[in-house]
Amino acid sequence: MKDDKLTIVSFLCNWCSYEGADKAGNARLNYPANVRVVRVMCSGRVDPEFVIQAFKEGASGVLILGCHPGDCHYKKGNYKTLRRIYLLKRTLEGFGIEPERVRLDWVAAGEGERFAKVANEMVKTIEKLGPLELSEV
Amino acid sequence: MAERIGVYVCKCGPNIGDKIDVDVIVNDVNSIKNVATAKSHNLLCSEDGIKFLKSEIEKEKLSRVVIAACTPKMYEQKFMKACEEAGLNPYLMQMTNIREQCAWVTPDKTAATEKARSFVIAAINRVLLQEPIEKKEIDIQPDVLVVGGGVAGMEATLTLAQKGRKVYLVDKSPCIGGLGARFEEVYQTMECAPCMLAPEMQDILQKENIETLTHSEIEDVVGSYGNFSVKIRKKARYVSEEACIGCGACFEPCPVEISNEFDEGLSKRKAIYLPFAGALPNVPVIDKDNCKKLKGEECNACEQACPFGAINFGDEDKIIEKQVGAIILATGSMLFDPKSIPTLGYGKFDNVLTGLQLERLNASNGPTSGKILLKNGKEPKSIAFIYCVGRKEKGYCSGVCCMYSVKLAHLLRDKLPDVKIYNFYTDLCLPKKEHQRLYNEAVDKGAKFIRSDGTENVTRVGKNLVVQYKTDSTKKKVSVDMVVLASAVEPDESTEKIAKLLDIPLDEQGFFSEEHVLMKPFGTPLEGVFIAGSCQGPKDIADAVAQGGAAAGRILSKLIPGEKLELEPKVAEIDEDLCSGCSTCITLCPYSATHRDEEKKIAVVDDALCRGCGTCVAACPTGAARAKHFTKEQIFAEIKGVAK
Ligand code: FES
Repeated sequence: MKDDKLTIVSFLCNWCSYEGADKAGNARLNYPANVRVVRVMCSGRVDPEFVIQAFKEGASGVLILGCHPGDCHYKKGNYKTLRRIYLLKRTLEGFGIEPERVRLDWVAAGEGERFAKVANEMVKTIEKLGPLELSEV
Repeated sequence: MAERIGVYVCKCGPNIGDKIDVDVIVNDVNSIKNVATAKSHNLLCSEDGIKFLKSEIEKEKLSRVVIAACTPKMYEQKFMKACEEAGLNPYLMQMTNIREQCAWVTPDKTAATEKARSFVIAAINRVLLQEPIEKKEIDIQPDVLVVGGGVAGMEATLTLAQKGRKVYLVDKSPCIGGLGARFEEVYQTMECAPCMLAPEMQDILQKENIETLTHSEIEDVVGSYGNFSVKIRKKARYVSEEACIGCGACFEPCPVEISNEFDEGLSKRKAIYLPFAGALPNVPVIDKDNCKKLKGEECNACEQACPFGAINFGDEDKIIEKQVGAIILATGSMLFDPKSIPTLGYGKFDNVLTGLQLERLNASNGPTSGKILLKNGKEPKSIAFIYCVGRKEKGYCSGVCCMYSVKLAHLLRDKLPDVKIYNFYTDLCLPKKEHQRLYNEAVDKGAKFIRSDGTENVTRVGKNLVVQYKTDSTKKKVSVDMVVLASAVEPDESTEKIAKLLDIPLDEQGFFSEEHVLMKPFGTPLEGVFIAGSCQGPKDIADAVAQGGAAAGRILSKLIPGEKLELEPKVAEIDEDLCSGCSTCITLCPYSATHRDEEKKIAVVDDALCRGCGTCVAACPTGAARAKHFTKEQIFAEIKGVAK
């Protein structure tokens, strides 16, 4: 049962991406129920530790969505995340975790379609990779 | 005492009720430790629902509440208020979104129910770790600084002053009125701009609660919304504003003559001058770079001529400090310099003018007292307007150049009934309700509008200017006496400096960027700093005035004398014991809200500046920085719930 659940934890910034996800709902777009949401004020709040913790708690993928570059509600939080996540992915790779399990992307408040698209794509990617077996690392 | 959590799952009528098995969730979570009660409700946001929620908090003696319903963007505030009214700190409530982000996107009921359950469990985990947050309020300074005395700045100033606010109006030029005061007539009413603006300017200069500082620039700003401290450099005018009565006796004897920038270089002015006749305040200024005496040469012609002893060569720049609660930037715009497009002949041939130069020719207080004349003093018989000059270079449509050109075409036909007018445009931008009519009337008056491909080329053949253009794929040319370039509007040169000073962002085009392009076009990302007029983007007078009024209104409604300002409660804080003083947070903070306490060698957060983005928290290597209401522990607890 655990195998086909493949949970994806998504960290959404309050101002753009969370609203984008709401818009997907307003438009009744579909994406798999294993995409789960944690709201943060800004993508800049996403500490690499959050990603690791999500994996530890059983997630197979982590999505981090923020405002488009230049649109961050707090000016530049998303740029900070961009650099941080880049480093994190390289570190994960060193531990044998496929970097594709972490995806950082931008979804604007109006982009319901885009949110659904990114969510669906992420589910496909993770399905291909299969569950993350942390114990093997 | 043990925690008592109340969990309330809203059915939202059929919206959630039909898509998620709410009863299953309620049943499941009821047995979780610390959950005192779990119930469903048909519509929690209704009056009845709020009443129910409040009575539950009281009756069940709840210490925490979880609400599973629609997006918190809808009713989080409402539910927080209900908690508060029932005696529960609103930050001990957690909402989770099982409608937009679950029921509405998951067609399969079992999957939706499972997802919703994970959300509710995550919220229960999280709410247990949430802490009460008390409202923070600070005293405020109700006075306001307005930078820029054009139409937007004037409207803001007067709106604020009418309500009794003290306003400091700072303008870098020696007079107020901005660009508008340099036009003769303005669209769409064809009203005389100086007549329209003069009463406002007089009002500003006379109102006791407005302090106008012309020939002045802001030099430093510290503090935050409610309490800014501003340093203003009042440049030496060398003419006493108190003693001068504006008789103008000093102009004539001054031996220096230089090009007058206020007439776009079309006239000469003296080293002691008023920008244009009727400029307010009516006190001349000495241009220290060109005044003989101030350059160390022998001359005191103006001093001798002044009957009131108003000349003061010993005048010096003064730094004035003011405390204000809010700042409105209304620093305006300028025109794109067409010299950078050499094929248009600007700066190369006589009688190739910008729209603003023609405005000055047309102005009764301008270089020709309102006569439209060629360089040789004769009236032009034919004039070509070239539209969209700089649009490609700037990358945006200014939205006002078509209209100012159409207006000028009108005025020219009235002044010179026989003049031939050619308008070369690629696209016409006539967006407002009166604009099409004005255009139609210009056509009726005989102005020709020719659609070309934007590759106009101006050359001189003998005494004439020749405009080559391409229309319907054929190359054509027309010989004219004068060419007027409808230049794009670009940010004023001071924009960048002010943005740096205040640490506020510019947009791609170099204008101040808005807090929100659609919903807060008069705000900036820095709270308490507002923008009005064309410093935010090209605008006509009506729009600039509206924005000036809006910015002032926002201040009047939020920054109220005697009332305190509520601060963002979800800010960052730094644990003194854990902070290693590495300063990572200081370099990352987009609002300069963190600074170093040199004595303790640690970082400190200024609550009044912090907006709670959490960027510093995510980067803090020792875990000393905490984000209130978004702590690591709270988020971990939430992850635990959703990841399963
Ligand atoms: S607020 Fe959306 S990324 Fe910063």
